[in-house]
Parts: sequence; C-alpha cells; structure tokens
Amino acid sequence: MRRLQVRTTVIGAAVAALATIAVPVATRDVVATEQQTAPAQQAELSVTLSSTTKRTVLAVADFVVPSGDADAAALSKLLADVLWADFDFEREYSLVPRAKTASLGAPARPEDVAQRPDWGSSGAGADAVVIGTVTRSGKEFSVKIDIVGAPGSPAAGQIGFSSLYEHCALANPRFCSHSIADDIHKKKRGLDGVARTRLAFSSDRDSARMSTRTGVPVSGKEIYVSDYDGANQQRFTFNNSLNIHSRWSPNGNQIVFTSYQTSFPDIYVANLAEAGRGLRRPGNGNDRVQNNQAAWSPDGSKIAYVSNRSGNYDIWIANADGGDARNLTNHPAADQNPTWSPNGQQIAFTSDRATGSTPQLYLIGISGQAIERLIDQRVDRPTWSTLGFIAFTSGSNFGHDISLLDLVSRQVTVLTDGKGDNGSPAVSPSGRHIAFTTSRWGKDQIAIVDRRGSDVRQITNTGNNTYPSWQPIR
Amino acid sequence: MRRSGISVLIVTLAVTALAVAGCKKKPPVAFPPASGGPTAPAGGGTPPPPAPVPPQPPTIIDNPPVTSTGGKDLNAMAIDEINKPENSPLKPIYFLYDSDEIDDASKKILEANASVLKQYSTWVITVEGHCDERGTAEYNLALGDRRALSAKNYLMSLGIAADRLRTVSYGKEFPFDPGHEERAWSQNRRAHFMLVSK
Repeated sequence: MRRLQVRTTVIGAAVAALATIAVPVATRDVVATEQQTAPAQQAELSVTLSSTTKRTVLAVADFVVPSGDADAAALSKLLADVLWADFDFEREYSLVPRAKTASLGAPARPEDVAQRPDWGSSGAGADAVVIGTVTRSGKEFSVKIDIVGAPGSPAAGQIGFSSLYEHCALANPRFCSHSIADDIHKKKRGLDGVARTRLAFSSDRDSARMSTRTGVPVSGKEIYVSDYDGANQQRFTFNNSLNIHSRWSPNGNQIVFTSYQTSFPDIYVANLAEAGRGLRRPGNGNDRVQNNQAAWSPDGSKIAYVSNRSGNYDIWIANADGGDARNLTNHPAADQNPTWSPNGQQIAFTSDRATGSTPQLYLIGISGQAIERLIDQRVDRPTWSTLGFIAFTSGSNFGHDISLLDLVSRQVTVLTDGKGDNGSPAVSPSGRHIAFTTSRWGKDQIAIVDRRGSDVRQITNTGNNTYPSWQPIR
Repeated sequence: MRRSGISVLIVTLAVTALAVAGCKKKPPVAFPPASGGPTAPAGGGTPPPPAPVPPQPPTIIDNPPVTSTGGKDLNAMAIDEINKPENSPLKPIYFLYDSDEIDDASKKILEANASVLKQYSTWVITVEGHCDERGTAEYNLALGDRRALSAKNYLMSLGIAADRLRTVSYGKEFPFDPGHEERAWSQNRRAHFMLVSK
C-alpha cells in the first residue's frame, strides 16, 4: 500500500488584521492508494499508454456517483471536466472532447467498457476510457480511478491503471481531480505535473485609491492567488497600495512581493498558511533604502533582490531572513531582475551598463565572480528554467514578446508572435509552460503558453492583471 | 470594435478636461466628483511644456497670481489638500519618450519649485518618477527612478538640501491619464512632487 503525500491548502477569505493578508486554510491531504486488487499491468496496454510515437487517445467519462446523493451528483461532471483539462494541459495524451461523449452515457463499471464500442475506435475514438467512481463519507469523498482499454484498441477491456484517492474535500473538489492528474502523470508518464500548483499575480480588479497618495487619484494593485488553471482566484493582500513582483518560496509556502504600503517599495514575505503571522521585511527598507524584485535561491536559504541603498539599483544577496546582505553587482548602472540558476550558483540579471538605458542579460557567480553578458539584444525580466533555458521579455519599446534563450546553443526562440504586448514571463516548475502578461485581449491579462509557443490559455479576465509567478511543486 | 469605444470615451474625457481647464479662473468651490477619478489632472495638471496661457482673460484684474495657489494659505492647509493637483504649488515636469533629460521648460518649473521649497524651508518632499505605458513594467521602474533622480539632482543644484528630497519610482503603474495615445502619454512621463511633511 503506497501513500502519496499531497500537501493541500485552500486560500480562505479571512482577512488577517495584523498582516492584511488572506490566508489559506489547510485541508487534509488527498491520499492515493494503489489498488492491491488491480491486475498487474498488461504488457500491451502499458505499451499503448506510454507510446512515444502516437499519443494515447483518452476519453474521460462523467464520474459515477452514488444515486440519491445531491452533493455527490454535483461532482460527476465537475471532477471529469477538471481531470480532462489537466490532461489536456500537459499534452501527454490526446483527448476526446468531453462534448463528444456527453450523450453516450458513462460506463457504470470498469468492466462495462468492453461492451461499449460507442466509446472506442468505432465510436468516440478513445484508446482508453477513464472511469471515476465516487464514494461519499461526510464532508469528504473518495474517488476510484480506472483506466480501461476501449473496444477496438489492442488492450480492449483491460484495466491499465487503478488507484483510489481518499480524503478529497467537498469544499474543493477541483483539487481532488488535480491530485489525480498529477498522480497519473507521474506514474504513467514519469512527469511532474503542475495541476496542484498555483499562480500569484497582481491585479487592480478591486482597486481603491492608494491610501498613501491621497492627493492624486490612482488605483492600487493587490496580489491574488489562483489555481494554475485560473480557478479559485482569491485576493491575498489588502493594503490598498501597489503590490507587485510576487515570487514563491521553493517550498511553495511563502510569497515574497514588493509593496509600496509605506510609500516606498520594500520586499515583504507572507506565509500562505499562517493566519496573520509571518509578514517579514527582510530588506529592512525605508525611504532611503528601497528594495524590490526579490527571488529565493533554489534551496530557500538566500534571497536576491534589487536595492538602491548604494545610490542606484544593484543586485543584493542576503540570507532568507535578510541577514548578511551584500552588494553582488555594485555598478553605477541599473541592475535589475535577479533570477537564480537551478543549482543556486549563479544569478542572471539585467543591466543597462553597456547601453545607458537598454537592459541586457548578464550572468554572475553568487560570489560576484565571472560576470558575463549572455546576448546583446534587449532583455527584460529573465526567468531561469530547470530545462536549460531562460525565458525573458524581448522586443523594443514598441512591442514585446516572450522569448527563450537556450543556454547551450545560445539560440533565441520567440514564443509569442506579436499579438499584443507581452511581458513578465514566469516559468512553470516543470519548465514546460510559461505564464506571462499580455494585452492581446484588451486589458492586461495573465496567459499561459507552452514552451513551443502553442496552446495559449487566458487565465484572468477581470481588471488588469500583471506580474505572474508560478508556485513550485510541493 | 472595443478600441473605438474606448477612444470615444477618451475624447469625451478630453473635452471634459478642456472644459474644466477653461473654468480655471473660478475659485475651486466643488471639486469635480467621481468623473475626476481615473482621468487625472484636469484643473491643475499643466499640459506639457510650453504651458499655454489662456488667451485674453475676460476681465482685466491686476496682478493675477501666476504660480501661486490663488491666495490659499498653505501653512493652514493639510498636507493631503496641498498635494491635490489644483492646490499644489509644486508643479510636475514632463519628459520626452524614454528620456530622463530635463529640458528648458522643465528647468523653469524646477526653479519655481525650488523657490517654493526655499519659502517653505521645512517642507520635505518626495519626487516621484512616472512613465507612460510603453515599454515593459520592469524597465519602466528603472526609467522612473532615473527621472526622479534627474529632478532631485537639479533641485539640489539649485540649493535644496538632499535630506529634504526623497525619490521613488512608480514606473508605469500609476498613469495620470488612462488614455492610450500621445496626449495621455505626455501627461504620464513626469516627475511628480508630493509634500511629505512640513
């Protein structure tokens, strides 16, 4: 019996008086249990499901729920829709559109799939059907997932995957499907999926006049947190100021951001899960020492950030608590946008030292050694990915795109093709997707594009939304 | 389609702003309500240099106050009131696209601002650097910083002590005019002066 530990938290609406932060409420872990009774994996089906030449076509049926249970009945379509979308996002499988199977009627039991040619190659076209069976217990429910070969496939009728997911919360059923998707991607595809991760971003959707600038009518921006797919968008800061540059801690439990709540920018660290506690200011800023754009080292022990305490913008490094701060770049030009290498030994940043105004991409060792300019073109907001590239904003002052710099070949690929103005890329923890800000739909919105430049998805649609950041996998 | 709707709105606002500017001579009895919200500097916001003087004042009045606050007693006024654009004796300066250079028109404004700061010798102010919406958010943070520092340095060259001058960059986060064309952008490329303590 294997237990899959899945940390789960839900953002609550409570406003913490002290920290002016809405904090998440911890819920129970969703536990996946490998079915002891499940047959050993059949060779044929295994080949089918992990084929690299042709993606397996999956259909996801409405989940089977106990009859007469209204709460559970509401989950039937929702759980299937979310699981379908999670699969669709990672593109490890081809998917039969849910609309195409809506009228077919879900197979009631895994063993019924063999008698349902309407789901298979002669019907909806699935190689395999995902069957979810919901069991209710109080405020929680469990889901048993079976993936069964569809009629017409080489593994017709065979159960290729079976697992029970317990402690799903009725209060957040989407998280249950996300947990299932991540577990299946891990076990069947060896992929660290991002279905349970979250995004943080800034938005003016609830903007109020900034309390610190009463003389001039301007609106503030607050930090918001959402699921990776844009669901459950919830406000995270409540200080009626400008709050930008959010970045997640490596353990995914904290967010560091720049806030102007004292009239000057400083970096603040907020705990995701501790009500009213944990708001720290590691940069010890004031009107003379202004800090912004913080980023945690991959091991969480240090932060890099931009500070003007030497008279202009430089990159500083300090311990995570702010101690032992030192000026890493120490140059009269503007140095900004620090991002750590995955091994924590280097920092990439932008500087206008060669141009006087146009930022370019530089690399420096964390002891201040071996500074190097990587490419000559204009670069803004670089973000180092675990897949050997740096995502950044390219372009001129008349239009910007998201580009990737391959660190081995030094080749640059433009991901977005000139639709709107695009900026502030944030790479997903797996490196497979990039969240960014775009004006292509009118106002500034958060969007996600895959690392090949396709499959653009709109995440936000209320107000202006900027500065996305992606929570690491926990 | 949506764009054209927005520009109609902008034109409407612009006309409103002109109308308000035309009424500038009247004492500011009632400040325009919500419509002034996101629009910005209707009354006091000086258009980009050179500041046009309204042609032919209707009645001839001796010694119309040129730079002052129209006879308001700044010593008695709350800081928040002083910082309202229609009240503030500290006028903003404007910049060319992607530039932090202080031009001649801005120098004149800064000289007037320096006179105010010499007259009110206890005032401490924040010089805010602002940018138009073009360019990335992160880049504009640096550009706004350069603009604030340019203005601060010029005020220091005129004899204002550094410890009375704070700077902060808002990048492109706080446009004074929400429009999306040069008329708005020219308003948003500015150093703005806010009284902090007096």
